[in-house]
Amino acid sequence: KMATFNEKKTCSQRMENFQRFIWNPDAGELMGRTLINWVWISLYYVAFYCIMSCLFALALYVMLSTLNPYTPTYQDRLHAPGLWLGVMVRPDVFGEEGVQIFFNLSEKSSWERHVKTLQDFLSVYNKSVQFEKNCNCTRGKYYFQDSFKGPDHTKYACRFIREMLGNCSGLQDPTFGYKVGQPCFIIRMNRIINFLPGNGTAPYVNCTKVGGHSLGETETFPVNGTFDLSYFPYYGKKAQPNYTNPLIAVKFLNLERNKEITVECKVIGKEIITDNPHDPYEGKVLFRVKICD
Amino acid sequence: VFQDNCELYSVDLEKNGAGDVDVKIKKKSGKKSKKKEKLENMKKEMDVDDHQLSMEDLEMKYQTSATKGMSSVKAGEVLIRDGPNELRPPKGTPEYVKFARQLAGGLQCLMWVAAVICLIAFGIQMSQGDLTSDDNLYLAVVLIAVVVVTGCFGYYQEFKSTNIIASFKNLVPQQATVMRDGEKFQINANQLVVGDLVEIKGGDRVPADIRIITSSGCKVDNSSLTGESEPQTRSPEYTHESPLETRNIAFFSTMCLEGTATGVIINTGDRTIIGRIATLASGVGNEKTPIAIEIEHFVDIIAGLAIFFGATFFVVAMVIGYEFLRAMIFFMAIVVAYVPEGLLATVTVCLSLTAKRLARKNCVVKNLEAVETLGSTSVICSDKTGTLTQNRMTVSHLWFDNQIHSADTTEDQSGQSFDQTSDTWKALSRVVSFCNRAFFRSGQDGVPIPKRIVVGDASETALLKFSEITIGNVMEYRERFKKACEIPFNSTNKFQLSIHELEDPHDLRYLLVMKGAPERILERCSTIMIKGQELPLDEQWKEAFQTAYMDLGGLGERVLGFCHLYLPEKEYPRGYNFDPDEMNFPTSGLCFAGLVSMIDPPRATVPDAVMKCRTAGIRVIMVTGDHPITAKAIAASVGIISEGSETVEDIAARLRIPVEQVKKTIKKGSIVILPRLRLKYVHSSAGEKSPEQILKKPFKPCMGVTKEMILEECSVLGAIVAVTGDGVNDSPALKKADIGVAMGIAGSDAAKNAADMILLDDNFASIVTGVEQGRLIFDNLKKSIAYTLTKNIPELTPYLIYITMSVPLPLGCITILFIELATDIFPSVSLAYEKAESDIMHLKPRNPRRDRLVNEALAVYSYFQVGAIQSFAGFTDYFTAMGQEGWRPLLVIGLRPLWENTHIQDLQDSYGQEWTFSQRLYQQYTCYTCFFVSIEICQIADVLIRKTRRLSAFQQGFFRNKVLVSAIIFQLCLGCFLCYTPGMPNVFNFMPIRVQWWFVPVPFGILIFVYDEIRKLGVRRHPGSWWDMELYY
Repeated sequence: KMATFNEKKTCSQRMENFQRFIWNPDAGELMGRTLINWVWISLYYVAFYCIMSCLFALALYVMLSTLNPYTPTYQDRLHAPGLWLGVMVRPDVFGEEGVQIFFNLSEKSSWERHVKTLQDFLSVYNKSVQFEKNCNCTRGKYYFQDSFKGPDHTKYACRFIREMLGNCSGLQDPTFGYKVGQPCFIIRMNRIINFLPGNGTAPYVNCTKVGGHSLGETETFPVNGTFDLSYFPYYGKKAQPNYTNPLIAVKFLNLERNKEITVECKVIGKEIITDNPHDPYEGKVLFRVKICD
Repeated sequence: VFQDNCELYSVDLEKNGAGDVDVKIKKKSGKKSKKKEKLENMKKEMDVDDHQLSMEDLEMKYQTSATKGMSSVKAGEVLIRDGPNELRPPKGTPEYVKFARQLAGGLQCLMWVAAVICLIAFGIQMSQGDLTSDDNLYLAVVLIAVVVVTGCFGYYQEFKSTNIIASFKNLVPQQATVMRDGEKFQINANQLVVGDLVEIKGGDRVPADIRIITSSGCKVDNSSLTGESEPQTRSPEYTHESPLETRNIAFFSTMCLEGTATGVIINTGDRTIIGRIATLASGVGNEKTPIAIEIEHFVDIIAGLAIFFGATFFVVAMVIGYEFLRAMIFFMAIVVAYVPEGLLATVTVCLSLTAKRLARKNCVVKNLEAVETLGSTSVICSDKTGTLTQNRMTVSHLWFDNQIHSADTTEDQSGQSFDQTSDTWKALSRVVSFCNRAFFRSGQDGVPIPKRIVVGDASETALLKFSEITIGNVMEYRERFKKACEIPFNSTNKFQLSIHELEDPHDLRYLLVMKGAPERILERCSTIMIKGQELPLDEQWKEAFQTAYMDLGGLGERVLGFCHLYLPEKEYPRGYNFDPDEMNFPTSGLCFAGLVSMIDPPRATVPDAVMKCRTAGIRVIMVTGDHPITAKAIAASVGIISEGSETVEDIAARLRIPVEQVKKTIKKGSIVILPRLRLKYVHSSAGEKSPEQILKKPFKPCMGVTKEMILEECSVLGAIVAVTGDGVNDSPALKKADIGVAMGIAGSDAAKNAADMILLDDNFASIVTGVEQGRLIFDNLKKSIAYTLTKNIPELTPYLIYITMSVPLPLGCITILFIELATDIFPSVSLAYEKAESDIMHLKPRNPRRDRLVNEALAVYSYFQVGAIQSFAGFTDYFTAMGQEGWRPLLVIGLRPLWENTHIQDLQDSYGQEWTFSQRLYQQYTCYTCFFVSIEICQIADVLIRKTRRLSAFQQGFFRNKVLVSAIIFQLCLGCFLCYTPGMPNVFNFMPIRVQWWFVPVPFGILIFVYDEIRKLGVRRHPGSWWDMELYY
């Protein structure tokens, strides 16, 4: 409280003090330390951080060496009780609230981009590619592989060719029905290592209209809209480098025109949850479609 | 009284290691500071001329009558004009301003900025139509809540300490006897007005400033106003031109000790002398305590650094190519990460804990920050009476049978008594008991004798209590010897006598007993009693008497002589009419019984406390208005000066040179001298040259100014000064001092208001306890702050890495707030309970300019060493959690744009698995939690290393601080609660992480502990070395 502590320093005094801090000629100090002290303290910190970095690198090395190259140590977010199975739709153009596929029949460019997305997406499912890389599997049951029988110490993956998508394969109709207002949508499930969907029975996709009566007539490919069990389990990128997800295509044949329609496609199968409020893409996918004349 | 030529000499002592003492004497008279000018102004204002007016003029001036008083109607009018007769409490800061201040500190402002940025970000997102993300709104609300809650907490603490003071206020209304319309009334003193005729009697508090009209033996105690402890006579005569010196004015709030008086009120309320001093005191600005300066200094640095870091990374983010809004959010996040939100609360709690501890030891701290100030005190400037001494005259020595006997002066009568078998003692004790007008107030049988209330002056009280203790039941003893005649003490006779009948019904003689100034008593004696025998008082005995008198006087004691005489029965038969005015009885040729000397003895705990101060490097200055010899004796007996040291006057007398010259010589530093007690003595320098003259002249305290002068003197030396005071006149000094200490028992309200601390037991030793606690809290605050600052680095680095390396965010803002305000608060407070590392009372007081609370070494060590290790621990855990869930480190770096893209619902990890955005978000929360857990584990190591700064943690003991142990357990439990309570992921972004990730940071915790042990070992082994300079904080 006494004057000693409340001396208001003038600006010039402050400057003087600061200058003295920067360079104090009496003690030969540069910013509070002599030059040799600066060298010492710098060396100390260099040594300190070198050692710490080494320890950090060592810690990471030890951690990485415990990891299995084929399967992750834990799948707490993906493969746990109350499974979180991500489902996605193609084409996937995002609007303000999730995926929205709006196009104008009279305007070619408005639907051509969706068609291109699908063509690009399906290019890996060309017969040539699939026949070259993947094998044919027994359908209707899980394709377990305990050993690495594939080339280069890998496991086989099952073929999924575009032809299996019928009218939505883009082969007969390269516009996937977009030109005529009967668009195809392709539903895929996220890959999860060692995940066996449906627990023995193949899960299937069911699309409904949200807040309305019906979507009208729909076609699903492959027939029944099921994901065949032979594509599961997935053994990971390293074991199955050529793995391709099984797909399901849905074609809406007579969607109401000039109206925004919200479609919900659910993957229905045992132990697949579709009503997680915190993840809208778990077990289902929502998208809005609007076809204008 | 406010002499313009006041001179103050201070003798300054610096004791060197070899025992040599060098002395600095400073003469301070020419310098006039602003404060002094203020006092000068006050002096002018005090020019009251009412004491010079004649009775008629006075009656005219106030439209009153010296016999009948005022008319009630007129009194009512004046009351409305002047307001009630009471001191207005000093104007406090309005409550809302206090609260607003709590919300507008340096760090709080930063938080406001952060919250505003969040709100702006939210607003922009809203306007862009992004309704999904309300994270920013959420964070803004949390930040505002944090500021408001910590503000409320600070306000509550302040409110509580203010309330302690409010409870001291005396709520009982004072009554006064007033004459109005010729009739006497008892009214509340606050209804009195100027011109009222009031009556005061012994035991009353003077209700306003009064011009005395009639008086009979009225004496007042002006000590609270002027510091003079001797009772002052009040009479109608005008004796001095100064209103403060003249006898015909009695001041508001002084005590009337004895007699009665009537007078006309000349000033009421704030216009009284006391009121003006009190107003003056409240006018002295409430300046900042050292700790407040420390904290402000440090908050400024932190705020500056936070803005610097934030701005740097804002620029970096903009350069890297982030959009403006994101860069602003980065800025906000860095500010939140870097600002230690919980720090101010921690400091407040630590200080209030110490304040509570002190309150238990009879020190009430009004201003929390004063706790620490006390610890940095380098000078204690203490009143003698009541603080160093017991504030009661006590018989300490007796001289009879040609021998000096010591009486017991301890507060609880636990000391040794003297031999009481001699017949002389019987005679002496009889004189002591009889020749005494003091008596115990009735109804105090259960009360221990030293504590009983006595009606009478200080010496008589001492003698009464002494005889009550040594012979018992004095009152009844006096009854048995009926008093026939009495002459009270007066200044012309300098003696007091009384004549008593004897107890024995067959012995019809009268006994005359007399006491008084020893030389006067001796003059009246012709015999002396030795071992019960009356011997003629020859030269030999006279010399013996002189020696004893000088000896006792040399001890600084007040000496009284006692003698008696049996009046011959024939000349003075029963029923003889003794006339006290005529003195128709012998008053000479008496028999000398003995000498009794009295002193206000030091409190039992004071010598130890003074010794502690000495070892702690604190100078004790005793301030007193007593006679120099008494002052010297007390100072010597409590150890403020050593036995045998000399005062300036002693040297002058010894060397037979003028005092002025002595002072000059001392200035040159050639004479060894010790005293510091003479500071209060101020004398007029005009025309006095010889030491004799100066010695003979009664010293006058230079009222009110002296303590301030001492303060100025000390402030020049850069000392932090604690000043004690009780009187109203002390309040400016109490305000001005770094720490003002008021007395709880003897202190006036004005002093208590002005003070920072109140001693409930008025005991000097309590101040020393306070110093010890203050030093401890300074050390412990250092530890707490070091602990709190450390974690800011592991909170900051995630953002830096996030921005520069584009990794998914490792630690979120909400999590940071949880670390700052929930888990780490208790451990940082628990460091306040840490015991001192070494004997802190053997160290010199800290130099407030050099030994800062937060110094460079502390910040650098915390930030760049311990903090760095903690960051490494956090990132190890982060990469472990990511790696084990499928995201290897090489993929993680640069992943951020994809990771945070809400449109990608099938992002592949290192194993080819595909993740939706929500799954990634929960993985991000898992990382937050891992980073949080890492910081917690490392902070446990941190709190353990912060227990000591120099000693090994093994020397200090791990479990001695129970609070700290429970704080660690609490921290772990709270961490587990946050992690594993269901619902947490979506509320506070904590995930139930795998148990093994708790153990990832453990090696780093051990590393922190081992590293700090090595640091401490180096510091202990090589004091003063480079290592010590750089790494000891």
